[in-house]
Amino acid sequence: MQSVVVTVTSGKGGVGKTTCSANIGCALALLQKKVVVIDGDIGLRNLDIVMGLENRIVYDSVDYIEGRCRLRQALIRDKRAPDLYVMPTAQTRDKTAVSAEQMVAMCDELRKDYEYIIIDSPAGIEQGFHTCLAPADRVLIVTNPEVSSVRDADRVIGLVEAQEKGPAQILINRLMAARVKKQEMLSMDDIVDVLSTELIGAVPEDEAILMSTNRGTPVALNGRGPAATAFHEIALRLTGEEVPLRVQQPVSIFHRLFGKA
Amino acid sequence: MISIKGVRNGLVVICDEEPWHSQLSELQQKLDSNARFFRGGRIALDVKTLDLSPEDILRAQSLFRQYDVQLWAVLTQNQATSTRVEMLNMANSLQTEPEDESGASASSHSSTQTPGEPAMSAANDETEAHAASSVTTEGILVRKRVRSGQVLKHPGHIAVVGDVNPGAQIIAGGDIIVWGKLQGLAHAGAFGDTSAVICALDLKPSLIRIADAARSVFPAPQRERARRPEMAVLEQEEITIVPWQDR
Ligand SMILES: Nc1ncnc2c1ncn2[C@@H]1O[C@H](COP(=O)(O)OP(=O)(O)OP(=O)(O)O)[C@@H](O)[C@H]1O
Ligand SMILES: [Mg+2]
Repeated sequence: MQSVVVTVTSGKGGVGKTTCSANIGCALALLQKKVVVIDGDIGLRNLDIVMGLENRIVYDSVDYIEGRCRLRQALIRDKRAPDLYVMPTAQTRDKTAVSAEQMVAMCDELRKDYEYIIIDSPAGIEQGFHTCLAPADRVLIVTNPEVSSVRDADRVIGLVEAQEKGPAQILINRLMAARVKKQEMLSMDDIVDVLSTELIGAVPEDEAILMSTNRGTPVALNGRGPAATAFHEIALRLTGEEVPLRVQQPVSIFHRLFGKA
Repeated sequence: MISIKGVRNGLVVICDEEPWHSQLSELQQKLDSNARFFRGGRIALDVKTLDLSPEDILRAQSLFRQYDVQLWAVLTQNQATSTRVEMLNMANSLQTEPEDESGASASSHSSTQTPGEPAMSAANDETEAHAASSVTTEGILVRKRVRSGQVLKHPGHIAVVGDVNPGAQIIAGGDIIVWGKLQGLAHAGAFGDTSAVICALDLKPSLIRIADAARSVFPAPQRERARRPEMAVLEQEEITIVPWQDR
């Protein structure tokens, strides 16, 4: 099976790696792809929470790697899409529990059955990043449209290039068109100019994300809001389809609640 | 006289046949006057045919350590010295890398340096350059974008074909030429050469240094629009920015 390992990382924490990993995974699964999303953030597991699968964890990736269960047993099937699986990670272990070689071996095993293996990686400055980078065929670097976030993303692109894993692609998250217009926020052009790295897409700031995270239903699964659309476009681009890049205007909560603002 | 050479895996300090104690004091002078260039780096020492005791070698190592420099290899043509180097757990050739790939997870050890200083090793082997204040004409050509957190150091000139991003550092014993946009920090004449220059197609570094002088460059509105190649030179101990042209 033609299989791609996509590692999702960032320069600093909290920019939306887990949100993007979950949603891109869902969007790919809705395109009838066979998908596994791996939580690569050992000890800080939260992918399962974002996906609403927390209660179904029996085994995790560390159990599999240390031989306490079979690969299948460590995977949670998400029934909301045809072929979507989540590999949770251990909550009580640290980043040294899985080596780069073990991660590569596990992904090679998964490659036999899945077309897309998405890894929700720790940020590039954190321990565990190199483990998640090791098996990558593609690397998505999530950045917010802020100077400091872009600076850190640049550093991680350098690390990815040094490991000869590049070229990485940029995913801009939490873009606010109105603030870009008022020049209060970096634009897509500004960011691409500094990073000189290809853009896979831009996801707007969207309140629906917050609600979906609390509910455990990624917006890409059934939402039609601006962020959901952006994730579906990114998934299409990952499959090789040409989707023109555009920035969605975020719809204000007033607009959504009361029709015209 | 001691000289310094840039090679693929870092810098090599080449000794001469003088007695060891006088070499060490010359070395100390060199480290003293160029502390910023050496700091945080690692170095190999070529001691030629000198017959050195383990104490001699350790003395050199601790001298380097005072300046935050790691002595990782001692090259020698003397068999006895070579054996002692091995006993001290140091490399005795440039081939044996002291750190293996597992050093990758060590990104926590220093926030300003990428593992292996990739840009540095992008240079050709054996770029000969003489140390200290003697002006050198040798240099390296780096054909890639230098990104945030990456540090490019060379005892001679440094030419970059590509942009130097904010957060990157270029430190040269000689001139710095950037065929692209220069942001980040640039230090030319790091050994005290006041005739060194910094040129870029688009000169917008956060900080430039020439020899011991420093200046922050804030992109003034008219400079933003000027969009012409510029050059930073030292004039009466002040860094001035002029159009890039032949001097
Ligand atoms: N496009 C968006 N619009 C609004 N909120 C968002 C968006 N993307 C992410 N968020 C919010 O930002 C917060 C951080 O997101 P997330 O947990 O995905 O980041 P992370 O990079 O995985 O963080 P960590 O480094 O801690 O793992 C969450 O509260 C999430 O709901
Ligand atoms: Mg996360």
